[in-house]
This record gives sequence, C-alpha cells and structure tokens, in this order.
Amino acid sequence: MLSQQLVNGLVLGSTYALFALGFTLIFGVLRVINLTYGFYFSIGAFVALTVAREFGATIWVALPVGALSAGVVAVVADWILLTRLRRAKAGELASLMVTLGAVLALYSLMAVFIGTDIQRFPFGFVDNTAIEFGGIRISLVQMLIVGTTFVLVAVLFLLLQRTKLGLMIRALAENEDAARLMGINVGLTVAAVSFLSGTLGGAAGVLIGLNFNAIQPFMGEHMMLRGFAVIIIGGLGDIRGALIAGVLLGVLEVLTAGYISSNAKEAVAFTILVLTLWFRPVGLFGRAQAKRA
Amino acid sequence: MSRLLSRVGAAALGSLMGASLLATPVMAQQTVTVGAIEILSGPSAAYGTAIKGGLELAMDEINAAGGVLGGKKLALIVEDSAGNKDQAVNAARKLVGRDKVPVVIGPTLSNEMFAVGPVTNDRKVVTIGTSTTAKGITELGPYIFRTALPESDVVPVTLKTAKEKFGVKTIAMMYANDDAFSKSGFDSMKAAAEQLGLTIATIETFGSKDADFSAQLTKIKGLNVDAITISALVEPISGVVLQARQLGIPASVRFIGGNGANSPKLGEIAGAAADGLLVGSPWFIAKKGETNEKFVSTYKQRYGKDPDQFAAQAYDTMYIVAKAIDTAGAADSEKIREALYKTDFNGVMGPFTFTEGRDPASNEGVVVLSMKNGRFEILE
Amino acid sequence: MDGMTMAEWLDDFLFTYETLIHALGVNGLLALSMYCVMAVGQLSLGQAAFMGIGAYTGALLTLNLGLPFWLVLPLSALAPAVVALVIGGPTLRLSGVYLAISTIALGEVLRVLYINAEWLTGGALGLSGIPRKADLWLIYLLLFLAVLGFWAVGRSKIGRAMEAMREDEAVAGVMGVNLPVYKMGALVVSAMLAGLAGCLTAHSNSFIGPNEFGFEMAVTILSFALLGGIGTPIAPVIGALVLTSLPEILRPLQDFRLVINGLIIVVAVLFLPRGVIPFRLRRAP
Repeated sequence: MLSQQLVNGLVLGSTYALFALGFTLIFGVLRVINLTYGFYFSIGAFVALTVAREFGATIWVALPVGALSAGVVAVVADWILLTRLRRAKAGELASLMVTLGAVLALYSLMAVFIGTDIQRFPFGFVDNTAIEFGGIRISLVQMLIVGTTFVLVAVLFLLLQRTKLGLMIRALAENEDAARLMGINVGLTVAAVSFLSGTLGGAAGVLIGLNFNAIQPFMGEHMMLRGFAVIIIGGLGDIRGALIAGVLLGVLEVLTAGYISSNAKEAVAFTILVLTLWFRPVGLFGRAQAKRA
Repeated sequence: MSRLLSRVGAAALGSLMGASLLATPVMAQQTVTVGAIEILSGPSAAYGTAIKGGLELAMDEINAAGGVLGGKKLALIVEDSAGNKDQAVNAARKLVGRDKVPVVIGPTLSNEMFAVGPVTNDRKVVTIGTSTTAKGITELGPYIFRTALPESDVVPVTLKTAKEKFGVKTIAMMYANDDAFSKSGFDSMKAAAEQLGLTIATIETFGSKDADFSAQLTKIKGLNVDAITISALVEPISGVVLQARQLGIPASVRFIGGNGANSPKLGEIAGAAADGLLVGSPWFIAKKGETNEKFVSTYKQRYGKDPDQFAAQAYDTMYIVAKAIDTAGAADSEKIREALYKTDFNGVMGPFTFTEGRDPASNEGVVVLSMKNGRFEILE
Repeated sequence: MDGMTMAEWLDDFLFTYETLIHALGVNGLLALSMYCVMAVGQLSLGQAAFMGIGAYTGALLTLNLGLPFWLVLPLSALAPAVVALVIGGPTLRLSGVYLAISTIALGEVLRVLYINAEWLTGGALGLSGIPRKADLWLIYLLLFLAVLGFWAVGRSKIGRAMEAMREDEAVAGVMGVNLPVYKMGALVVSAMLAGLAGCLTAHSNSFIGPNEFGFEMAVTILSFALLGGIGTPIAPVIGALVLTSLPEILRPLQDFRLVINGLIIVVAVLFLPRGVIPFRLRRAP
C-alpha cells in the first residue's frame, strides 16, 4: 500500500506543481500577486471542454487550444489591470487587490453564463485504462499529468536559461529599470511572461479538470491557496522549486491522510507554509531578495 | 475622490433603502403570499432550483383548482440565499419584516436553517424545511416544521437493507467534515451501523471542496471492506466514487450514500462508476400511483427534465401549506401553525402527518434505491 | 400606506434590516482592525482568524460557563490578543506579501482545528443557540470609541511614529522608532478589535460555524480598507459600510451581484489611488 500511496502523492503533487508553474513565473518575475491566475486555470479547462463537447476534439487538440486561449486571455487581462499599477510602481498590495476584484468579477461572470454545476469531459474523452504493476495502479491521465509536469518544467527551465527571451525575462526579474536601460523591450517581455503564465495555467486547468472530473468556474479559486503554499515553499520565481515543493506537498498530504488521519490533511500545506515563512522565508530555492522600497 | 465616492455611495444607500421600503407592495386582498428561501445561485443551486420548481408547479395547480381560502390566489416570493448563511437571514428578515408572509418555506441547507430558524421563530412565523435533514432542526423552536425525513430515519433503513440483502458485515465510513449536513448524516450512519452490529474498519474524512481522495481510498482498499458509507453533498460524493473505481476498488464494494446522493447529478458526473450505489429515499421517480405519475409527467413537461426528490418534497409541501391555510381559515401564522399539526395528507411522497416534534411521522415510505447506468432504480 | 403607524413602520424596518445594521457596525470594527496594522505599514491579514478566536471564545464562555456579557466581551478581546503575542514574534519578521500569506495560512490552520475539536467547538455543526446579547447601541458605541481612539492616537507622537513607519520603515528605525514594539502593538490592538467584532457577531447571529473566519473573510476585511482608504480612521469604516450594504442593495441584480462587487474593487484600485493605495505609491521619479 505504501507504494500506491507514494504514487498517489506523486500524482497529486504534480497537479500542485503544474498549477504553480505559471503562478511562480508571474510572481517571481513581475512581482505581482496575480490572483487572476486562477481564472486562467478555469478558462483553459472550459475552453477545452467546449471544444471537446461541441466539436468532438480529442485531448491532443483540446489541450493546446485550451491552454493557448488562456494565454491570450492572460495577456489581455494583465495588460488592462496591471500596466497602470506597474507604471506607478504601486506595491504588491495594489496588484493583490485589483486582481482580486477582477477575478471575483470574472468568476461570477463566467458562472452567470455557464452556470456553477460541475461539468466533466465527455465519457471516453481519454482512455480510462490504467496499468497495474507491483501493487500499484496508475491511470493514463495520471501518467499524462506527471509526464506533462516534468516536461514543462524542463522546457521552461531551458527557455529561461538558454534562450534570448529567457534572458530578457530574467533581466526583467532582476531589475526592471536596469533592463529598460539596457534596451530590453519591457512591454513585450511582460506580455510574453503573461502569455506563458496564462498558457501554463490553462494547461493545468485542462489536465487537472480531466483528472478529477470536476470543471466549474470556481475551480481555480480552490487551487489558489495551495498554489501560494507551493510557490513560497519552493521559492518565488524558481521553476525547480515549484516542482519539488509541489510534489513534496502532495506526498506529505497523502501520507498524512493515509497513515495519520484524514482530518489532518487540510492542515498540512498551511502548517508547512507557516513554518517555511517563519524559518526560511525564501523557500527552498529562493534567493534572498533585498526588500523592495 | 474616494471620499466623494464614499459620500455619494452612502447617500445612494440611504435613498435606495428608503425608496425600496416605500415601495412595499400593498398586500392585495385577493392573494395569500408565502415566502421561500432557496439556493438559486452558486454551488448547490441544483437543490434550490429543483425545490423552486416543485413549489411553483404545485402553486399553479392549486390556483387552477380554485386557490385557497375560497378563491384567493396563492402567491410565492422566492429569495436567493446563494448558500450564504447571512444572506439567508437577510432574506428571512425581508420576507417577514417587509413582505409579511405568514409562512416561510426553506431554507435549502441545514446550515442555513440553523441561522434562519431562530429569527423566524422569534417572530412567530411558521417555517418549513423541505430539504433540511440534520439533527436539531425542529428543536430550534415551536414554529419550525420540516417535511424532509431526517437522516436518522432514512439511513437505518438503507443500512439494514444492505446488511440483509448483500450480507454486508464490515464497512468503511467516509464523510465531509466541514459541513453540518454531512456531519450530521454521518452521526446517524454511525449510530445505525453500531446498532446493526456492523464492524467499522475505518472512518475517513475529507473537505466538501476537495478533489483528491486517493489517500483515503487507497487506505480503504487495503482493508477489504464489504461496503463504504458516504455522507456528503452530491459533488464530493461523485468525486469519491469516480476515484474509487479509478483506484481499482471493485464494483462489488458498494457505496451507501446519505441524502446528498439522492440527486440525478450523481449519475451525470460519475456515470458508470456510481453503479450499485445504495441510497434511501422517501420518494422515487417510478413510484407507482396516479398522483406521482401525474406529477412526474407534468414536471417533465414544464421543466424539460426529471424531477428529483427535492422537487417532489417541495411539491408536497406546497400542497400541505395550502391545505393548512384552508384549515386555518386565514393567512395567519398562529392559526396555520395549529392547522399544520392536524395535517393528514397523501401526496407523491405517500401518506404524511407531522409528529408532536413537527417532523414527518412515518418512514414507511422509504425505499432503497440503487444506481445503474446513471439512473436510480428501485432495489428489488 | 395601508394604515401602519410610524412606530410600526420603524419596527418593521429595524427588523428587516437588523442583521444588516448589526453587520455594518461589526464590519466597521473589522475595518479598523485592518486599519490598525496598515497604519504601521504591515500587511497582516490575520483579522479574520482573530475574529474567529474572539467569536468562539465569546460563544463558549456564554454557552458553557454562563458568564455575563460584560465579562465575556473583554475576554473575547483578550484571547486573540494573547495569540497575537505568541505568533507575533516570528510572524512580524516577515514583510509585505509574506506576512499576508502567513496570516492567511494561520487562519486556515485554525479552521481545521475548529472542525476537528468537535467536543469543544461543535465541529462542522458549529455553535448555535447563542443568546443575542449584542445590542445595537453597544456595537456602535464601541465603534465610535475605536474611531475616536485612533483619531486621538493619530495626532499624538505615536501617530507620527506610525506615519514614519508607513513611509519608510528603515528610515524610521534609524530615527529611533522602536519598530518591534510598534509592530507588535499594532498587531495586538488589531487582534483585540477583531476579537471584539467576533464576539459581537456571535452574539448577534446566534450561530457560528468554522468556515466563516477563513480566507474569504480575510479578503473581505481587506477590501473594506482598500475601498475606503486609510487616510483617516473613518475612511475604512466607510469602505466597510459601502461594501456591506452592496449585496443587499444589489439584491435585485441577483447573479450579477458578485460581478459588480468585483468591478467596484477594480475601479476603486485603478482609479482612486488616494483612497486606495496607501503606502509605497510614488510617482515614478
């Protein structure tokens, strides 16, 4: 049973990590607490759902369509909401509030048009089979999630470290003014980060919505609190951190529920979060940042 | 600028509230208005919308047949609580304080009733829960009634049937620990299980909004139980059931659900994974009898979908209220209260009377249903 | 108006809006609790958690020990203050977003505790049947006193120190402001106000449950201060008044209610900087 629980933890943890990837990117690079991220998650899932239901698309079509739509929405929304604040160099508080208000409005708007009932992908959208070996059982979707998470982490890492765009993003994260002075097109870079982050969120929405068979407008909101925990424990802006923290959290939650008590499961993420903040606020991989004036 | 905005806002608030008060509709002498508080938006809206459907269908039929109190029309004001306790209370206050209804039907969830009940009871307004099944509802006060069979009456029947029919001896129990209805249902299940001498292998909890139950289910799988009881709202139940089959818990290990499972949504979301789930219900769509068959077909015609237990209970309740108004001879809460005690009604739920404690008197009509292919069937 | 007397009309008005009027007062106190920490430049979002502690303490003292209300009220303010002292140490070393998130996380941990400590807190079923002892005059009196208190402090030496901390904490420290003391003080006062609000809410609504004092409540309290601004103590209170009455005014709009609520916050933040973004908002040099 332990091995199955570990697999459960790995899968759950991958969902957390997958969700956190885009979130940590936005937070770490743009220094904005972008609560609308949860909305991109929901939108990605819904677009994919619609495409699957109305046009009979398979997952190989629905997933990228959902993800990319979320990316586009992200660019637009971030531009509307955050440009002004960034120009005025308003603090994190302002971005927190504006995105909070926006996401509240957006979720509710979505609920008005789509309804709050839980929906699911059509039966048979993805093959339901699972493989069993050595007392472990894992389904295709679950393997897809774990696989995608690891692949995305690798791709993102390479993008940030090896490409010109990645360089621009990292420069922006270090110091926006200096980057601008060096000739980096800040507006374009920011848009790129928004797009990336939104796409990642959307992809997460599709896969996670598929795994748990539960798609409803507020699904992003539920993940957000865990998302905070993951990105802080992992270190803001650090991709590897998001992966490791996510998986770690997933495994710990599952083991707590399985071997201690399912009552305590809820508290695991937050307890670790609080402990991290008290004793190692930068997280596993964060760099100690000078406090922004 | 914000001060100006705030001042403008305050003035607007004041005048809006004033205006809306002055616009209190003059109670037409030709109508008897009854109030209802239901969840019409947000999660759990499925329950509230079904209830509203049942109420309105009954109301229209009653009016077509001549109304109440010798020709007066029965009217209904439905307020949305959105599942929010405070909003439910505000809605109750509005119905009682402004609209002056003699009877309030609802609210939908037990949680809400615990907040609303004391308020309406204080004002001596009859309040009837059609879907509130937790423990302690009618104890809130002498004006609080309920037509929904409490879990403590239904669950023992379901468990007993499981034991006798399927030889269930060892069970695992699951419930949502952050919701009053689910917890209360679990308490009833546990008591019933102990009374029947079943062995409880483990008790696992989860949150109503959780999506991952793999840890709990893997643990349960390792214990080789005969059945799993589950007390929660329909959405988490669907998630649990789906994941259970995904993890390889065989279909021979049945799920036994509380009242939350009594919704067609279970089949919609969980599909084949829910096959074999047992749930006790005071009503069943294919129940034989002219009243029920007519109700089912009229409901389907009007709303384009099958009624569920919530709609059925609401439908009967509206008739019960109308009859009580007639017996009382006036749209007076006190008289209606006394009339309700004398209720002797035969509806889609079967014969109905109230106990001294204002609960439904009999659980004879409870049937055990089993899910198959996304629909409920009577367990033979 | 079909023969109602003025007295009856007033009676009905009060009854219909009783919950709302209570809530306006309580939320005013909560807004001040938020103001308190923001006035020293701290983004602590623990008010909801402290409110929960105050609510449960008050309810349990009344229900289980039958203590008189004049005793229960201050004790409900004391309990969260003690908790604030305990967690204040490690928590106040954090700043900005980290502080905010850690306080929210604490609120969630408490929520799990409330749910599981069934024998004490009633678990998911919460505590019901709490006698309604929170009179309107009491709530508004406390609110008035709190506003007055803050106003008086604001004009004193303490107030100037707080403003210095808001502008630039490092400089304030160098100038001799005892940062840790002020921060802890603000947290403790904020906890007391929130605890009072919690106790009052428990004794107005007669029923409290574990899910009422978590993330959503924390965000709501934050939005009071954000809408109204923190220029003066009365500003967040007005923010609370507006946002609390909004759902009721917008009731006819049904589903669009939350949408409008959210949009108002967005508009307020983007276009009302003075009212909203308190510190750290500078024009780019």
